[in-house]
Amino acid sequence: MRIALALLVLLAAPAFAQETGYAVRDTEIKKEPYSDAQTLGTLAEKAQVKVLDRQNGWMQIESGTQAGWVRMLAIRMDTGSSGFMSGFKSLFSVARTGSSGRAVTTGVRGLDKEDIKNAKPNPEEVKKLAGFAASRSDAEKFAASNPKLANQKIDYLQAAK
Amino acid sequence: MRRALLAFALALVPAVAAAQFNLNINKILDTGKNIVDATKDVNEKQEADIGAEYAAVLLGASPLLVNPEVQRYVNRVGRWLSLNSERPDLNWQFGVLDTGTINAFSTPGGYVLISRGLLERLHNEAELAGVLAHEVAHVVKKHHLTAMKKGKGMEAGANILSMYLDQQKSAAAKEKLVGGMKEIMLRGLDKDDEFEADRMGVVIAARAGYDPYGLPSVIQMLQASNPKDSDLALMFETHPAPGARLDALDRAIGGRLDRFAKQPQAAERYAGVMRAKP
Repeated sequence: MRIALALLVLLAAPAFAQETGYAVRDTEIKKEPYSDAQTLGTLAEKAQVKVLDRQNGWMQIESGTQAGWVRMLAIRMDTGSSGFMSGFKSLFSVARTGSSGRAVTTGVRGLDKEDIKNAKPNPEEVKKLAGFAASRSDAEKFAASNPKLANQKIDYLQAAK
Repeated sequence: MRRALLAFALALVPAVAAAQFNLNINKILDTGKNIVDATKDVNEKQEADIGAEYAAVLLGASPLLVNPEVQRYVNRVGRWLSLNSERPDLNWQFGVLDTGTINAFSTPGGYVLISRGLLERLHNEAELAGVLAHEVAHVVKKHHLTAMKKGKGMEAGANILSMYLDQQKSAAAKEKLVGGMKEIMLRGLDKDDEFEADRMGVVIAARAGYDPYGLPSVIQMLQASNPKDSDLALMFETHPAPGARLDALDRAIGGRLDRFAKQPQAAERYAGVMRAKP
């Protein structure tokens, strides 16, 4: 029953996936998601947008007759506009349900204020955690694999006054 | 005891300064400050012990996800990020909590825990890196130790902390420490510490070679979510509003990270791990 329900929701998901937002300042609309791409126009502060895609700090939007890429941080999202299914929620859960019945109970397990108030320390789980730890060389090997993660020297950002 | 010592030290200041003209008052004041600066008193071993107690409470509320592949993957990403922080040699340990709640936690000494619910909402490894790097920043800056010191319960947090350290692990001291930790988990860290962890998180992710916009994407996802969703309640109560976090990041980043924006998001690798059956 739950699997059937999950599949039903999965099929219906695209219909929900229409995120919307608004510009918090005037910002340039670019033809492509790069700062030196052709400028198509200006998206005005408070303009409503439909979010079509995100790419490396840029957001593909539609706003009335305007369309193109704007800086992601010039946009704030409308609360509650996210698609019911974003990310891997369905995939991860369906996979879990498929392999063991345990997912049915774990799927509803929360971690709220009451759970924390009532928590009894569990040192056994802390020991288990150590078993999954990655060494420095594990991490370096991982970074050198595909896609390669090349480290950079970058100073921390200052808080804007 | 420590308090009495401080009062004593401060009381001495005027007399000593008056008697010895060449004495540097600032130096004396700094010494006085250090006595109550519990974060400076805690050595790395003690920090790791406190962090393990803290992690035990979180894992008592929610156990680890039974999926070794996902656990190891999150550790590799997290350990690589930690190597690009100012504390690369801590005993860093990362874990996924088996809860649908959307949240991530860190504890002193290098423990970082992310919920299954949050992992399921992410789209790529750069977003995961952004979340973990925010938590790594809390550990690097010892934000939890600062929060514990400021604890306002029945007993001052600094007292609880020094009691734990003085009487290493007596049952009573440990119980009080656990109470103090729970208070911080429920109340959250200082809001400025959260903003600082956001600013540091984007940089640590970029240093580690990721698209720096993973964390801002996650915060936008949170903003677009339904605020009445009970899975988000604790996270929203213990963090500044997503809009305020995005405003602060927008102003701090400007165009400063443009040159790193094309770094990988590793979406395919992320999808591969998330889709694998446990």
